[in-house]
Amino acid sequence: MRIETTQNRPVTITIDGESVQAYPGETIAGALLARGQRAWRKTGQGHKRGLFCGMGICFDCTVTVNGCPNVRACLTPVADGMVISSEEADS
Amino acid sequence: MRSEIVVVGAGPAGLQAALSAAEAGAEVTLVDNYRQAGGQYYRQPAPEFGDIEPLDHQAEGRRLWQQAAQAGLKLLTETTVWGAFEGHQLALDGPNGPDTLQAQALILATGTYERVAAFPGWTLPGVMTTGAAQTLLKEQRIVPGERVVVAGTGPLQLVTAAALVRAGVRVVAVIEGSPVMRRMWRRPFRHMAALWNQGERLAEGLSSWLTLKRAAVPIHIGWGVTTAHGPEQLTAVTIAQLNDRWRPLPYTSRTLSCDTLCYGYGFTPATELARLLGAELHWRPEQGGFVPIRDERMQSSVPGLFIVGDGAGVGGAGLARLEGRVAGLSAAAQVMGKAVDAALPSLAAEQRFQRFYGDLFTPGPGLDELARPDTIICRCEEVTLADIRAVIEQGADTLMAVKQLTRCGMGNCQGRICGPLAAAQLARQTDQAPAQIGQFSVRPPIFPLPMPTAEAVDLADLPTIPDEHR
Repeated sequence: MRIETTQNRPVTITIDGESVQAYPGETIAGALLARGQRAWRKTGQGHKRGLFCGMGICFDCTVTVNGCPNVRACLTPVADGMVISSEEADS
Repeated sequence: MRSEIVVVGAGPAGLQAALSAAEAGAEVTLVDNYRQAGGQYYRQPAPEFGDIEPLDHQAEGRRLWQQAAQAGLKLLTETTVWGAFEGHQLALDGPNGPDTLQAQALILATGTYERVAAFPGWTLPGVMTTGAAQTLLKEQRIVPGERVVVAGTGPLQLVTAAALVRAGVRVVAVIEGSPVMRRMWRRPFRHMAALWNQGERLAEGLSSWLTLKRAAVPIHIGWGVTTAHGPEQLTAVTIAQLNDRWRPLPYTSRTLSCDTLCYGYGFTPATELARLLGAELHWRPEQGGFVPIRDERMQSSVPGLFIVGDGAGVGGAGLARLEGRVAGLSAAAQVMGKAVDAALPSLAAEQRFQRFYGDLFTPGPGLDELARPDTIICRCEEVTLADIRAVIEQGADTLMAVKQLTRCGMGNCQGRICGPLAAAQLARQTDQAPAQIGQFSVRPPIFPLPMPTAEAVDLADLPTIPDEHR
């Protein structure tokens, strides 16, 4: 949930094929939580994970961004046209 | 790159150290992992948000950074220090790719991570550290859920719960674990010396408490979360009253419906770089665990290596800034080879508060007993308590053995989250003291590196300090 809407124009990012609006300055994790999504990464044993430490330490929130795997959603700011996948890319 | 003084970490301790050293006339480079200076405590709104109303300590942080910038230091942001080598040489990875940075004197102000507890359900989406919620709020003005329970121990829980209420979130309850706090009022005079001159902190605590009371948020003191319920995402938590050893009392448990749990049981100092450089540590549970041994100038057992702030022993932002000033002035005097014309501040009052904080908010053994056999201890590699117990029963009696046999600590977090949890389990099962168990060993790179960086760096060119000397 966003508590303060900035004057900025939203950008559009794609999350698992779905177009989502986000605001410049938000991180990927922020944009996901703002739309009520708490879980995105799937672990090796098939469990869902989302934001945990929020400061780049635990690597639980990682996503694949524009084909680059293991990107921390809690640290990475959104950018217009960014393509995010919760599936791990083959690397 | 080279610099007379390099400061790692731009939170309260690092900013102040860099500012004091630069004002004393030294050439200073300040390196930080995040987009903007401030660390966690002064975490600034994202720059894209422009001139929005500051929260909490953001204005103070901005002032400190402006002062530091005027003193003429060099700031490297979004730069990860992933290794530290013989002769105060650091390996960096930043916006301009990999690089090395050679310092004459090095000041580490690397801060902490939150200490968590492994209870059934702690890996469910919707369960996060209190710091995660606070960062979202400070940096992005986003709240993590609609019905939030805030639990753990220490002032961060109270302050964050109040901030969430002000942001319009329904805080279901605040759960503070400390049984000491419950009976503090019985011996008020014992604590008065520590709280003398702590008007600002008391005001912040009181204002948070009033915010919560006005919103009719229940505050349970001497209680803790024992289970988080799913099935797939968080839907509720069970809480119970705790005894003096932080063990849940039977027949006191109750269940609270919520979609988010924010929790934290204090902080673990980030000592990886200090350990890579061979600094000696000692076990100080009331300051967060293993902390570097320092002299009164904040110099570690390694000459020219200064360590300050919560990363050298949890003590809060006030103490962090004073330690930063002491280290900044001392390091400047060292590299310039002359006395610095500025008085070192006294740390006594803040150290009194640090001891008071340690007395109140250091969890007891019950916290390590919440995990059940199928509870995950290592989130990255999905290693359960049963997995760890099994190898201990087969004779593993060191952290290294547990790591090698279970993969606990081998994931991307490199044991930062599970390390203290695994150590506590090993200590319990083998009846060893935590000081004897120690920590997972540390090796560069201390953070996962992108392949292009890893390929660009030849570790053979960087003289690592051998294990037996650290």
